Amino acid sequence: MNKKTIKHSSYTLKPAHIIETKYLTDDIKYFKLRFTDGTDLDYTPGQFVMVSMCGVGEVPISISSTPTRKGFFELVIRKAGKVTSDIHSLKTGDKIGIRGPMGRKIPLSTIEGKDLIFVAGGLGIVPLRSFIDFVLDNRRDFGKVEILLGCKTPEEILFKDEIKDWEETLNVEFNCTVDKADPKWKGNVGLITSLIPSIFVYPERTYAIVCGPPIMYKFVIKALLEKGIKEDHIILSLERHMKCGVGKCGHCQIGNYYCCQDGPVFFYHEIKNNWEAL
Amino acid sequence: MQRYYVLNKNKLINFLSFIQSRSKLAAPVKKGEKSYAFEYITDLEKIALHYLPTILPVKKYFLPQRETLIEFNKKTRKTTHVIEFEELTLFGVHTCDLVGMQCLNAVMVEDPKDINYLERKNKLTVIAFECNSYCDEHATCGIMRTFIPSSGYDILFTEFDTYFLIHIGTTKGSEIVNESRLFDVAQKEHFDELNKLRKRKEEIFKPEINASYDELKKLMERACCTGAWEGIFDKCLSCGTCTNVCPTCYCFDINDDIDLNLLNGCRMRTWDSCQNEGFAKVAGGENFREERKNRQVHRYMRKFKYPVDKYNMYFCTGCGRCSRACVAKISLKETMNLLSERIKL
Amino acid sequence: MKPKVAFFDFACCEGCQLQVANFGEELLDILEVVDVVNFREVMSENGEDYDIAIIEGSITNQHAVERIKKIREKAKIVIAYGACACTGGINAMKNNFEMPEIMHYVYKDDAKYFDTIPTKAVDQVVKVDYYVHGCPVYPKEFVDVLKCVLQGVEYKVPEKSVCTECKLNENECMFDKGLTCMGPITKAGCNSWCINNGNICFGCRGFVENPAKNAAIEVLKDHGLNPELIIKKINMYNTVLDEKLKKKGEE
Repeated sequence: MNKKTIKHSSYTLKPAHIIETKYLTDDIKYFKLRFTDGTDLDYTPGQFVMVSMCGVGEVPISISSTPTRKGFFELVIRKAGKVTSDIHSLKTGDKIGIRGPMGRKIPLSTIEGKDLIFVAGGLGIVPLRSFIDFVLDNRRDFGKVEILLGCKTPEEILFKDEIKDWEETLNVEFNCTVDKADPKWKGNVGLITSLIPSIFVYPERTYAIVCGPPIMYKFVIKALLEKGIKEDHIILSLERHMKCGVGKCGHCQIGNYYCCQDGPVFFYHEIKNNWEAL
Repeated sequence: MQRYYVLNKNKLINFLSFIQSRSKLAAPVKKGEKSYAFEYITDLEKIALHYLPTILPVKKYFLPQRETLIEFNKKTRKTTHVIEFEELTLFGVHTCDLVGMQCLNAVMVEDPKDINYLERKNKLTVIAFECNSYCDEHATCGIMRTFIPSSGYDILFTEFDTYFLIHIGTTKGSEIVNESRLFDVAQKEHFDELNKLRKRKEEIFKPEINASYDELKKLMERACCTGAWEGIFDKCLSCGTCTNVCPTCYCFDINDDIDLNLLNGCRMRTWDSCQNEGFAKVAGGENFREERKNRQVHRYMRKFKYPVDKYNMYFCTGCGRCSRACVAKISLKETMNLLSERIKL
Repeated sequence: MKPKVAFFDFACCEGCQLQVANFGEELLDILEVVDVVNFREVMSENGEDYDIAIIEGSITNQHAVERIKKIREKAKIVIAYGACACTGGINAMKNNFEMPEIMHYVYKDDAKYFDTIPTKAVDQVVKVDYYVHGCPVYPKEFVDVLKCVLQGVEYKVPEKSVCTECKLNENECMFDKGLTCMGPITKAGCNSWCINNGNICFGCRGFVENPAKNAAIEVLKDHGLNPELIIKKINMYNTVLDEKLKKKGEE
């Protein structure tokens, strides 16, 4: 067998430095990264990158920062398997290989000027933070902004400081509910769907952006539709097993779509008849 | 360019020796009573000119079972994309397998292009061998209309009593034929024979499924989420064989390997199967295709529905490998017939 | 500092340890990265200070229970090594009988002198960090597991069947040869070692995750095996896994 090497391909890695890192919970760690060549990651909220630990493997990770803030990008990673565990061992100054951004760039102009409801279940807040910060950096271009967050327990709520900031300075309605309260918890208890009926929406000009565990979507979509929000105004970020990120390996297929190329962000009307989507 | 030639049967061995002088040669050899495989050939006598579809289709030369994509060094942090390839001539590729290669081509040239596949393909020469009759009862090349070779080869051999009629598909094919000096230009009588054969083949190869070619996709669309599949896949063991032997299945897994010093390593891709338990499972544990039945429905959708929407091609070549190799005897023909009984189009 | 490795054997034939001794040159590479401090089969020293405990054999009496617990306390990492340790192996076949019955069958009137319990895989007694399946282990997989240990990451046993690997190796199918084979429902990871060498798969690595057991029984029946033999074939290496599956089903 002969062998030759090539400079750039879908699988070549681009080195990035870790410029900041901190634990958000016991098993969730935040990473701030910068490409070693100083370039910016050219991405849109909802996209993801493949993160490489050579010798261990590669995993898809959603981008948690907004492209409006330059010079870095942020990932928030839960320890779930061997690659993510290995990523957790990295410290500030360490280098890491990146492929991406991957996935569809959704036209943000469609949501410009609209009222927005963000619905996040648990870790779903991580990719939604990219949208939220994007909106907040262009706050005047958007109408009412409402964030609904559902977590298992109060300790699982991520970005607590930022949430405070969103509420206090950026005119954002924030509502949170937990499945199981602790003695200190004063907020709502119950499923995320319980937060939806009481919010006030102008259906015509409202877009909902949803991300959470697979089980959540059906119920949240139902509640949103009951609010009168239109099918093409519901934006969903779906999770699937991904290996190549370039629409070839087949793992992330959702019916006719490759989640890694055609998604992971979809409009509800695009996938509502897809037998494998929800 | 002259497109049709004739090779006298007793010169076949000379031609194959000529091929061997130019590149490595791979051709079908007998592995067991009913099993054949494409293998590198040193001894020309071993070639099985008439064979049942090989265990694995020739995709293994375009998209090898295991293939290095990246080499890395943990200390220098250097990573390099590598392409493994070889100059190789495939001799004896069946008509159905030509279609399989065209299906894979459609996938791999789509952006982002798969450079490893395309580079490797460039180095391969394909000499096809037309099937003049059914290989066995599992084949469905009648309904899939894959029994007449159309393209995808450099040279096509069609067998007659004492000679092969040769059709040149590419410039590369033309060069080989000319350089070998073994071929004669085809005459009218040869074309007459070819026409007769092709007509006879239209009589031999008839739709094996009670639905028309165009209806196959509709059948899938209607059947997809219904009870039409009831009972068909209860026998399935999810062993993954049907996809591995399929000429149009290309799903793969990517894994890293590293030496014991944890210094040098590589990232490899290996064939994977949508029938495997972990195929659609995410890190959190959710399995998006947990039921074996759904994995099979997904497989059928990937043959008769999704690629039609995307590439306007059925990704079934009618080779019959999935049925032939299934230890649970799940047959594509029977499945499709059952669906067509259960679904009114 | 190279991690210190100790091999221990419980109820087993020690054939898996023999695989290591048979490694040849690759063994030298392994010895470059680990220190073997205890390996009864090949050396006389028996160090009691170790980081990695490699356990061959299943747990079949109370003494073994105590001993494996002590090893677990000392070791940072425990590797279940070979079918007996990973799944109880063939030793677990006895679990298909009532204890007094099987004890009498083996020891006759002397049964009362023997302390024995139903066979347990190591992970039924203590926490196991890594598994190297097989009877015997497949050397390359052992090296792969070792690399994961050295990198401090988990080793994932492939979630696919032996058939998957066998097809990639383009072997003639045993069923086509008129034989029967456990490949379709047996965990991959051995690169279809036996079939590559002309043998059928006996299923020594244990069931795939979520095996289609009933369908497998039907296939074997279809190929002429009688039901009793099929159950025995399956039980040979899967008794403990079957117990676990049943328990999971009840939950």
